[in-house]
Amino acid sequence: MDPLYDVELVAVTKRYGSTVAVDDISLRVPKGGYCCLLGPSGCGKTSTLRMIAGHEGISEGDLLIDGRNVTDLPPSARGTAMMFQNYALFPHLNCLDNVAFGPKMRGVAKTERHRRAREFLDLVQMGDYAARQPAQLSGGQQQRIALARALIMQPRVLLLDEPLSALDPFLRVRMREELRRLQRELEITFVHVTHAQDEAMALADLMVVMDGGKIKQTGSPAEVFEQPASAFVARFIGGHNVLPWKDSMIAVRTDQCSIENPAGAAGLKGRVSNVEYQGPTIRVALTTGDGLEAAAVLRDHVFKEHPVSTGDEVTLSWPEHCAHRLAA
Amino acid sequence: MSEPHIPRQNPIDARPWTFYALATLFGLYLLFLYGPMLVIYTLAFQGPNGGVTFPLVGVSLDWFRDVWRPGQMANIPVSFGRSMALASLVSLLTVVISVAGGLAYRRPFPGAGAVFYIVISSLVMPSLLVGFGIGLGFQFLGLQPDLFTSALGAQLTWTLPFGILAMFAVVNRFNRAWEEAATDLGASPWQRLRYVTLPILMPGILGVALSAFTLSYDEYARTTLTIGARNTLPLEIYALISSATTPMLFALGTLTTAVSFLLIGVTLAIVLHMQRRREWASLA
Amino acid sequence: MANREPDIGAAVDALVKDLDAAPLQRERTAGRRWKAPAWAVSWLQVIPLTAILVVLFVLPTALFLIVSFFDYDRTGIYPAFILDSYREIFTSASTLRVYWSTLKFALIVWAITLFLGFNVAYFLIFHVRSAKLRIVFFLLCAIPFFTSAIIRTIAWIPFLGRTGAFNQAVMGLGLTDRPLDFLLFSDFSVVIAYVHLYTLLMIGPIANSLSKIDRALVEAARDAGASRWQTMVNVIIPLSKTGIALGSILVVTQVMGDYFVVRAMSGGQSASIVSALSVEIQAMQYPPAAANAMVLVVVVAIMVACLMRIVDVRKELVK
Repeated sequence: MDPLYDVELVAVTKRYGSTVAVDDISLRVPKGGYCCLLGPSGCGKTSTLRMIAGHEGISEGDLLIDGRNVTDLPPSARGTAMMFQNYALFPHLNCLDNVAFGPKMRGVAKTERHRRAREFLDLVQMGDYAARQPAQLSGGQQQRIALARALIMQPRVLLLDEPLSALDPFLRVRMREELRRLQRELEITFVHVTHAQDEAMALADLMVVMDGGKIKQTGSPAEVFEQPASAFVARFIGGHNVLPWKDSMIAVRTDQCSIENPAGAAGLKGRVSNVEYQGPTIRVALTTGDGLEAAAVLRDHVFKEHPVSTGDEVTLSWPEHCAHRLAA
Repeated sequence: MSEPHIPRQNPIDARPWTFYALATLFGLYLLFLYGPMLVIYTLAFQGPNGGVTFPLVGVSLDWFRDVWRPGQMANIPVSFGRSMALASLVSLLTVVISVAGGLAYRRPFPGAGAVFYIVISSLVMPSLLVGFGIGLGFQFLGLQPDLFTSALGAQLTWTLPFGILAMFAVVNRFNRAWEEAATDLGASPWQRLRYVTLPILMPGILGVALSAFTLSYDEYARTTLTIGARNTLPLEIYALISSATTPMLFALGTLTTAVSFLLIGVTLAIVLHMQRRREWASLA
Repeated sequence: MANREPDIGAAVDALVKDLDAAPLQRERTAGRRWKAPAWAVSWLQVIPLTAILVVLFVLPTALFLIVSFFDYDRTGIYPAFILDSYREIFTSASTLRVYWSTLKFALIVWAITLFLGFNVAYFLIFHVRSAKLRIVFFLLCAIPFFTSAIIRTIAWIPFLGRTGAFNQAVMGLGLTDRPLDFLLFSDFSVVIAYVHLYTLLMIGPIANSLSKIDRALVEAARDAGASRWQTMVNVIIPLSKTGIALGSILVVTQVMGDYFVVRAMSGGQSASIVSALSVEIQAMQYPPAAANAMVLVVVVAIMVACLMRIVDVRKELVK
């Protein structure tokens, strides 16, 4: 029986004393998929990742990896490997020995494990750095070594704990592509924790939005972005206006809104509070009389036809079908 | 669900067997450390006819009284006074010199390496030899070794390395940005030192003062050849041991331990008081 | 489209005019034409330390280097350059015996304090979870240190003696019917006393090194399949090398330089290098005493240099 899912969480809870960090969550990650756990600090995403890794014990519930119940097993027996947030490269070993560490613990002979380590260093394009010490490498380079060290264990599931947060924006985009490429090539499941929604949307096949220890929504990035399940998800994912409208709450994408000036037609009336230049787009933020805040993101040529400035009275409007009713 | 909820302990969170093994070892170590001390404290109350070993022949405070009486062999109260005076002076000097030295090492300067090795050498040099060298020097110069000259100097060679090593650790945790902020806000170098640098370093400085005091107070190897005629307490004790071993020594040991406890207590109280004052100041 | 915003440009202009008028900036920089170079400031700060150590440590050491070459007889010492004292030392059998005995003690005590010190430090840093409890435990370890070493050493006598507390306890429990003789005034009691006095010198530096180890490294090792023992050998011990080296230096030099413990605890059966030396000093035989001192200094220096070769102590301490 070939299980469909590489990672399955069944009613998993994590308690630290009397605090509940993760509250009865269930999740199924399909084989060979890229799953992102997304949420604000303290939402429980890192605790969840560490429970999958085996570095935290599961208080209640079960964890299955490739169909096996691994709830009580130590990290090395699960078929997972973790890439740590600050890479955790052993400072007293050079890159080659860092990567060869796992095989060394398994008792692989020196020549064999060095050979394998070089293979994986080449895989992450760090073959020339084998003799260097971690302290001599840049952040991006250290990350590749950490990746190689995890991958040499040939895990079924690779766990990444905010791998890109320490990198500068340029490098972040480059490494994102690398990670995606690797995941596709190796055909293993990645579970990636992040608080940056653009990162999650770029990488994930399955996006899991968490808050307060619970899962708020799962789905593909497109599903979550186009049909946020709740006001929290709409706000967190960004690019949405969350407004009370008629008799419920709606979410409207800011890039589907337009600004009409002077006030007229149907829509939200308010005063422009800020005009932000973003390159290809302009973001116009406005505040209503009730103190509600909303924004519209306009293409630059559209803005130039009818420019507005701070203090103007305008109306925010959108096509009827773009308004998405929120459950909560 | 109506079943009773039994929280289960995940083996990953449980304490490994090594915890219990090490905890036991630690417990045994503490017993080992304090065992002889308890013997001292008990035998200090030895009866007037009892000896230096068990059994306790009655219980009395006689030996405590003996401590205060200047005997033919030794004068405890006077030597105690000398020890306290010397230790205070040593502590003060150590603090001032170590703080200056620690601040010096924040930047590279010519000779930094050489001075560091001299410090380490002074630390590892067998104590008696240091005393020997200084004693010889004084003799050749025709000077009389004395408490506040040669003995003071000899003790400094012991306390200064400890002091400066401690200051290295303290100063390394000090963030230069605080001083830069002070300069930015218009502080002169003296004001900066007085209002920013020293207050932040104060707990570390107190630690150095306390250790220097203790190291001086207990010191005998370096002091013995440089003391001259006026003994400090450890040397009086040593003289007593060589001549007459009575439970008075244990009474003395008990008293000195009490003094040490008092010292630590006073220092802790000062530190806590300083912390509390800072909290109040920020609340006001 | 009316411009309702305040004229920011004009406001900024007015502010700049104000600043130009204020002499504040100029006052602060006036008279600051010469600033001492940074290294000179450091130099001044380190002069008291250097001066004291040079006068009270380097010079006296040089002094007994010189005196070791002097000639002497029953009445006094005479400046000279002869190697007699050294010849005496290197051809005398008792020198070898005393050095061997002291080195033996140093090695045994080093091994025991290392084992004990490392395990206690590891327990305190890695197993004790509450910071408050850790401080309490550290204080508990350190407090006995504040009592004079002399008193702590002789405290073992009523403890280990034939009629001492330990024997009474052991006989009372029925474990033996005769008091254990070897406990006191033997090599055993000397080692016990040394361990009692010097284990803290191991615990301190090792605990310091251990506390600097990133916990994520331990998890990374665990993740890569290392057992707890493998993690210890491959990660923790290599990363605590500095603490081990420093502790070893402190313990070994203390034992090599000791003159009280051996005398008190061995009942005169063993001698230490320095106690033999002190006899010569008391007899005013300065040249041979100085020569002995020099030999000891060289031996200790070699041991320390070896230990410091293993670990760059300076880099770690001044970091």
